Amino acid sequence: MTAADLAIILPEIVLALFAMGAMLAAVYTSKDAMAAALTYGTATVFLIMAFYIAVTGDGTRVGFGGMFIDDAFARFAKVAILLSAAAVLVIGVEAMEKSDLLRFEYPVLITLSVIGMMMMVSAGDLIALYMGLELQSLALYVIASLRRDSVRSTEAGLKYFILGALSSGLLLYGASLVYGYTGTTLFSGIIETAAGGEMALGLLFGLVFVMAGLAFKVSAAPFHMWTPDVYEGAPTPITALLATAPKVAAMALFARVVHDAFGGAVGDWQQIVAVLAVASMFLGAIAAIGQTDIKRLMAYSSISHMGFALIGLAAGTAQGVEAMLIYMAIYVTMNIGTFAFIMTMEKDRRHVTEISALSSFASREPAKALAILVLMFSLAGVPPLVGFFGKYAVLLAAVDAGMVWLAIAGVIASVIGAYYYLRIVYLMYFGDDREGLDGQMGTAAYIGLVGCAALMLLGVINLFGLEAPAAAAAEVLLR
Amino acid sequence: METILLFAPLVGALICGFGWRMIGEQAACVTATGMLFLSAFLSWIVFLGFDGETYTHSLFRWIESGTFFTDWAIRIDRLTAIMLIVITTVSALVHLYSFGYMAHDENFREGESYRPRFFAYLSFFTFTMLMLVTADNLLQLFFGWEGVGVASYLLIGFYYRKPTAGAAAMKAFIVNRVGDFGFLLGIFALFWMADSIQFDVILSMGPELMETTFPFLGYEVNAANTIAMLLFIGAMGKSAQLLLHTWLPDAMEGPTPVSALIHAATMVTAGVFLVCRMSPIMEYAPLATNFIVIIGAVTAFFAATVGLVQNDIKRVIAYSTCSQLGYMFVAAGVGVYSVAMFHLFTHAFFKAMLFLGAGSVIHAMHHEQDMRNYGGLRKKIPYTFWAMMIGTFAITGVGLPTTYFGFAGFFSKDAVVESAFAFGGDLGQFAFWALIVAAVFTSFYSWRLIFLTFFGEARGDRKTHDHAHESPWVMLAPLGVLALGAVFSGVIWYNSFFGKTDQVATFFGVEYADTHAGDGEGGDHGEAASTEGDSHGSEHHYVFTSPPGEGAIHAAPGNDVLNEAHYVPLWVKFSPFIAMILGFLTALWFYILNPAMPGILAAQQRPLYLFLLNKWYFDEIYDAVIVRPATRLGRLLWKGGDGRVIDGGINGLAMGIIPFFTRLAGRAQSGYIFTYAFAMVLGIVVLVTWVTLASGG
Amino acid sequence: MQIGLEHYLTVAAILFVIGIFGIFLNRKNVIIILMSVELMMLSVNINLVAFSSFLGDLTGQVFTLFILTVAAAEAAIGLAILVCFFRNRGTIAVEDVSNMKG
Repeated sequence: MTAADLAIILPEIVLALFAMGAMLAAVYTSKDAMAAALTYGTATVFLIMAFYIAVTGDGTRVGFGGMFIDDAFARFAKVAILLSAAAVLVIGVEAMEKSDLLRFEYPVLITLSVIGMMMMVSAGDLIALYMGLELQSLALYVIASLRRDSVRSTEAGLKYFILGALSSGLLLYGASLVYGYTGTTLFSGIIETAAGGEMALGLLFGLVFVMAGLAFKVSAAPFHMWTPDVYEGAPTPITALLATAPKVAAMALFARVVHDAFGGAVGDWQQIVAVLAVASMFLGAIAAIGQTDIKRLMAYSSISHMGFALIGLAAGTAQGVEAMLIYMAIYVTMNIGTFAFIMTMEKDRRHVTEISALSSFASREPAKALAILVLMFSLAGVPPLVGFFGKYAVLLAAVDAGMVWLAIAGVIASVIGAYYYLRIVYLMYFGDDREGLDGQMGTAAYIGLVGCAALMLLGVINLFGLEAPAAAAAEVLLR
Repeated sequence: METILLFAPLVGALICGFGWRMIGEQAACVTATGMLFLSAFLSWIVFLGFDGETYTHSLFRWIESGTFFTDWAIRIDRLTAIMLIVITTVSALVHLYSFGYMAHDENFREGESYRPRFFAYLSFFTFTMLMLVTADNLLQLFFGWEGVGVASYLLIGFYYRKPTAGAAAMKAFIVNRVGDFGFLLGIFALFWMADSIQFDVILSMGPELMETTFPFLGYEVNAANTIAMLLFIGAMGKSAQLLLHTWLPDAMEGPTPVSALIHAATMVTAGVFLVCRMSPIMEYAPLATNFIVIIGAVTAFFAATVGLVQNDIKRVIAYSTCSQLGYMFVAAGVGVYSVAMFHLFTHAFFKAMLFLGAGSVIHAMHHEQDMRNYGGLRKKIPYTFWAMMIGTFAITGVGLPTTYFGFAGFFSKDAVVESAFAFGGDLGQFAFWALIVAAVFTSFYSWRLIFLTFFGEARGDRKTHDHAHESPWVMLAPLGVLALGAVFSGVIWYNSFFGKTDQVATFFGVEYADTHAGDGEGGDHGEAASTEGDSHGSEHHYVFTSPPGEGAIHAAPGNDVLNEAHYVPLWVKFSPFIAMILGFLTALWFYILNPAMPGILAAQQRPLYLFLLNKWYFDEIYDAVIVRPATRLGRLLWKGGDGRVIDGGINGLAMGIIPFFTRLAGRAQSGYIFTYAFAMVLGIVVLVTWVTLASGG
Repeated sequence: MQIGLEHYLTVAAILFVIGIFGIFLNRKNVIIILMSVELMMLSVNINLVAFSSFLGDLTGQVFTLFILTVAAAEAAIGLAILVCFFRNRGTIAVEDVSNMKG
């Protein structure tokens, strides 16, 4: 363990020290009194780290004998994770405060989870992968059941935990098979064995099990079952977190495993990923139609979106990975905006999540309704908005990779999916006039909502230059 | 000045159409009318001060894409100048006339504001028509072309509570679409060949196009002929020539001032204008011009025969318009564009006057339009009577051949007939005789109209007759002005349009040369033509020598019809006169001396009578051959294809299958952990099995 | 009979499948699910140790230690959540963990 290794892992170390320091500080003061300050502080640290990683990162550095990789791909994912986590923290403060959930462990747990995610995207070894994944997951299990006095919140945590443990088991079993058939846990070692020619059946089994475990984390069908229940049961700001940063991390990890470790056997996993993608897109789109709770709806929506992101992965090309990264960045932005609004849905001073509460919202709050309209259209992939370009990028990647059927399936799924987004818009603008939402929206949430909507419009120009780093990231992954 | 001239009607239309709530109804209409008079005044200045030299004002760049570019521009040459005064003068007078005619319209409810709308449409029409004639490229021309189509649609359907008016408006629009399709193809073909749609460029390409061929509909076709033909198809639609004429009579559903302005004087002549404007191309497309002659002659004959038996006063005049347009096309087809413009020019005055006169009669008779219910109105409405008489004199061509005494129509119609004869050959003979017969009929139905309306016993509702009253001065004044035009426009400009070749050339800003002097100025073609000139023993023999694209009109080398037309035999010069007398006498006999005669004849020749009364059954044939099969096909595709297959499929999918899956997904999401775990295990089992099978294990 | 790698793998596979079945066949008690999860982890550990021994490579055993550690943490967190749930719901029957569905 040399200084060079530590330098590579510096951001993670800083965050870990911060988390421990914060915990100590909170314990030695009057606990929750400093929770708000701690939350903002955590967000600030995240921003600083994101800035640090984005600015100082350069080239590809490998530490700890290949177990930890710091390359353009990891940096892209880490910046996305840190920024989205920071945004969710800031936006969620008010909602957490209102529901009396703003405890000091909230930012600390999120910090730990973020460290896990950063570990995941930088993993160069099955052990590192597992450790990152578990750190992330364990923290999230706890956060999901943060509202200890609520049946729904604890049930969400319990379900998440049990199914997460099952998926960990599957992943580990796969990892053990991969280790057994390649003799190493390093990705750089696995790829040598897995490259070219026929893969041993045991190795193939290992791959499938690992992918199943990862599919659970990105909530791809049929490993998605936990998503709606957990999204519904968890406190809304936490749902917002679940829908954003961990998805980026898991998707990035997925990409890293299939390309870094099994990049030589694209044909073997391509079809599996494609099937997962199609199943997710259609299941997400179809099941969402029947929802009455907007959080559940967003859960199915995210399942469907993960399907689209997987299309990019299924292409198996640098273009596909680039499209996937762009898609994830856009998806995260859209979800932050949407959840910024959902967090503040209130009726008679109580948080509500029924879609019907949105009825004729536009007549009371035209500005916000317009912002939601933009976000919904963007989620649905209506052309002038950024959401469309994300979809377009992944579909194009699939077509260029010769998977036209996949692209066609994607188009059909997005048509079906458009229904429930438009239904929300319809309700807002043409719903029956009756008692609707009456809560006030805090500044941070308002900025989050309107800002994300504005990004969806303004990004049309050049996607804020997102394409260049995404392309660089994709290239380094497929070298 | 041209810019003001051009945009004054638009400003008037906008103020009148959108601003009348602010400035009041009367003020809005006055504004629009005032703008039009300003425009007319400027037009006359432009016309009279014009020296024949073409010039172009570019307003701004409109479209630029690759090699394609167009400007909004104002191109003024003699053709444009003629059209300017025709359009703005008639339009201004019609505006004025409408104050009286549209004052109280029973098609609208009490207190409803319809007049500003009417005036705005009229002004808008005028603007687009001006756009059409001042265009310096085909796209701007097409803009105007479609703009007048829209205005025509709006005005025909102005009485929107009348189902017939709505149907007529749609018919006009749809029939014009057919022509426009040809026109557009022509524009595309021109752009393809010339890589430009600027008149400067394309008009000079006539000889070149004659040498070129391109594939069209699977055949290798001559470029000039095809383009000219396609452009003429557009002209056929707009100018209501045979086959595409059916909309014009129906268009009479619009208010009478509209009929006078759009469907007599201006818009329907756009086709003639187009052919004249394209003369440098037409000249090199012999097949197309022959086709134009045939269509023109047949239309003139056909419309005149139908006009013989119509009973609606406006329909008679409408068919007369159709027929006169045929004359113009014959003139253009034989290559004497100046004569086509001449007839267009005079026709605008006397036909507008006839329409406005008819409007005055209708106004007096409380919107009764059937001539069988008129009669004996001479005393009741004397001014209108005399106006109509002057119009009839003009249209039937009253005048003394070989002298300068005659009404406007006399000069221009004789010019057309003589040109047709001078064109020679079988085609020329055919056109000549068709036009002479048409002239007999024209005379007959025009006098029939006069006799039925103003002479004899009062028929129809007695009370209406008793209340018949002369129209107010705002309606009579335009009649007076137009009467001046109908009387004098022919004699004043006779030499300019149909004088010696040098006079015409000067008027139209075309270079010319005296080939008889043999100074060789005209080049080889001039030499060749000079030998023909000798045969008439004249001192001078001038020919047009401008290259194509310069000057307002063009004559190909060897096109000497204009010259020849002056040397036709004397009997040819007298034949229209005789035709006119013949028609008059027959009408006199039928409707004054022996009023029972028409009925007997109609009974004897019943099939013929019905054939004519039903307009040669064109509408019925179109209905059976095109409209009904199209409707049936449309219904099949709509009900069967779209309704059952597509809608049914989508609805079945959206409302049947997807909700089924939605329910299924909802049921799968049971809430039980073991179900979820089972789904995951099932998923991995499927994947593992699949991978195993796929890897051939 | 020589006990070879395949025997270890078979045992591990059997244990793993039992663990999985324990998760979705059991409808009584959440604790049993936790035990099944533990069983799955252990079967993985057997796999890893067997492979490690077979390959003569220590990485597998290191991995095993990591898994053991994490499994302990996981069990702690799982039980904590379960306790919270029990306080709210008053039961830990698997069939009662179904407030949210659809």
